[in-house]
Amino acid sequence: MSLRPEPRRSIVAESIYGLLNPIPFGCFVAALIFDVLYSKTAVMLWDKGAAWLIVFGLLFAVVPRLVNLTQVWVTSRRTATRTDKLDFWLNLFAIVVAIVNAFVHSRDAYAVVPTGLWLSVCTVILLSIGNIVVAVERAARGGYVNE
Amino acid sequence: MSKNVVRRVLVLALVAALSGCSEKASLEPAQQSGNAPPLPKARDFLLPPMQVPIGVGWAQGQFPKVAPGLKIEKIASGLMHPRQLYVLPNGDVLVAESNGPGTEPVTTPKQLIATKVKNRSGKGGKGGNRITLLRKKDTAAGEWEKHVLIEHLHSPFGMQLIGESLYVANTDAIVKFPYHSGDTQITAPGVEFADLPGTVNHHWTKALLASPDGSKLYVGVGSNSNVGENGLEVEYRRAVVLEVDVATRGSRIYASGIRNPTGLQWEPQTGKLWAIANERDEIGADLVPDYLTAVQEGGFYGWPYSYFGQIIDRRVEAQRPDLVAKAIVPDYAIGSHVAPLGLWFSEKNALPEKYQGGAFISEHGSWDRSPLSGYEVVHVAFQQGKPVGKPETVVSGFYSADEKKLFGAPVGLTQDHDGALLIADDVGNTVWRVTADSH
Repeated sequence: MSLRPEPRRSIVAESIYGLLNPIPFGCFVAALIFDVLYSKTAVMLWDKGAAWLIVFGLLFAVVPRLVNLTQVWVTSRRTATRTDKLDFWLNLFAIVVAIVNAFVHSRDAYAVVPTGLWLSVCTVILLSIGNIVVAVERAARGGYVNE
Repeated sequence: MSKNVVRRVLVLALVAALSGCSEKASLEPAQQSGNAPPLPKARDFLLPPMQVPIGVGWAQGQFPKVAPGLKIEKIASGLMHPRQLYVLPNGDVLVAESNGPGTEPVTTPKQLIATKVKNRSGKGGKGGNRITLLRKKDTAAGEWEKHVLIEHLHSPFGMQLIGESLYVANTDAIVKFPYHSGDTQITAPGVEFADLPGTVNHHWTKALLASPDGSKLYVGVGSNSNVGENGLEVEYRRAVVLEVDVATRGSRIYASGIRNPTGLQWEPQTGKLWAIANERDEIGADLVPDYLTAVQEGGFYGWPYSYFGQIIDRRVEAQRPDLVAKAIVPDYAIGSHVAPLGLWFSEKNALPEKYQGGAFISEHGSWDRSPLSGYEVVHVAFQQGKPVGKPETVVSGFYSADEKKLFGAPVGLTQDHDGALLIADDVGNTVWRVTADSH
């Protein structure tokens, strides 16, 4: 996220969010790639890799999601835009889908396919939309786009 | 750590929500016994059914329950995870104290959780990696003399004596020791006799059985996964019965596709090789029934591609229709997830008339089924060399009435020179002896 000069936002919270928030997205995208590879090749490495990526994605998501929850609905609720709220909900659904997906990925071998693959697709789409709407709003405002 | 607390709360809430999705068993093990068990449709779960009682061991003076007309006594206690029993020609009883070598790496998040849950039952207790010799005292009743025969073994399970050689099946090799009648300690180092599949060791037990003429050794080798999820390359010579030629030490696959053949015995009337097998998990509380079967030379029994003949397991990709087409239907189902770990055929014994002939099977008990199944020793009657009727409970009472506590779990079976049935109990660290109640 950009470091917009928002007086009500804590620099520490923003820094933690900026540092940790990209990690789950990266994990879930990688998991999706691995799921595609597994469904094509049936080589167990990809399935097991995807299972770990989803779990790590979820663990890394805990702190930035709590920061986001606090900012959107408590500390910055007066300045939070519709986009911020949409981004919050998209992320929440993505996390719920990823949690279900973690359980689907605990199945043995090809029992993960195709459900696991479609859940990975859903997670990545939800998070992608969230990232895009936030970026578009930033661009419209004339602030810095991510990074 | 708030992150941890939040995580734990989330996980607990989810587990609670998801357990709602898992199912209770609807078929009793007895209903799923015999040569044509009802088999419900396979299911995929978010969270497979799991129920594990907590291992507490036996209280002073507490015993397993025996069927009417039987009595039970304790002949050894304080053992380190006794698994397998073997009676020597002079009547001494060998106990292999053992557990898995713990070499299976954690390669999935599921393993972290499932292993913790399963080990609460006491089934994960540390093995002694030794063979203890029990000798009946001439005078008093009560526990037998205990001698450490061989130490520093590597997850031993099967034991067989051929002439003056004692063969011990470690998890990765058959090792040969010199033995003379009456020995209570063997200090000579074991000589590696034949190597066995020893990587990963998802299923680590190696059952061992000598042919009556002592020319061959048969080895039950379990699979390296539930259903191929560790890759089929680690299943080389796995889920098979190996035949080792004693003269040349060469080995070959005698039969294959048997997921985990944990007990091998000769059926006394026909002289045929029989095995008990542990079937696959996580496709239902009533799937797949474990079984007792004659082992046909060159036979293929389905694992991992199919079960009970040609029923395809869709979890395996790519399938092998050529193998499935020739998959043999096992002779006799004994119920789902009962986990048979001990097999003993007995033509004549010190139990009442109805237990003469047929097979005793010890069932170590379920972890992925609710209510619990197994955790008992059963008897299966045989006629003309084939199992008939339903398994009858001989010894039970290994868990509390509320299914929360586990006192013991039966594993190895044999019979002593007086014809009494001996049962190794690896959760109770005890050896039990069952005879007819003369009162």
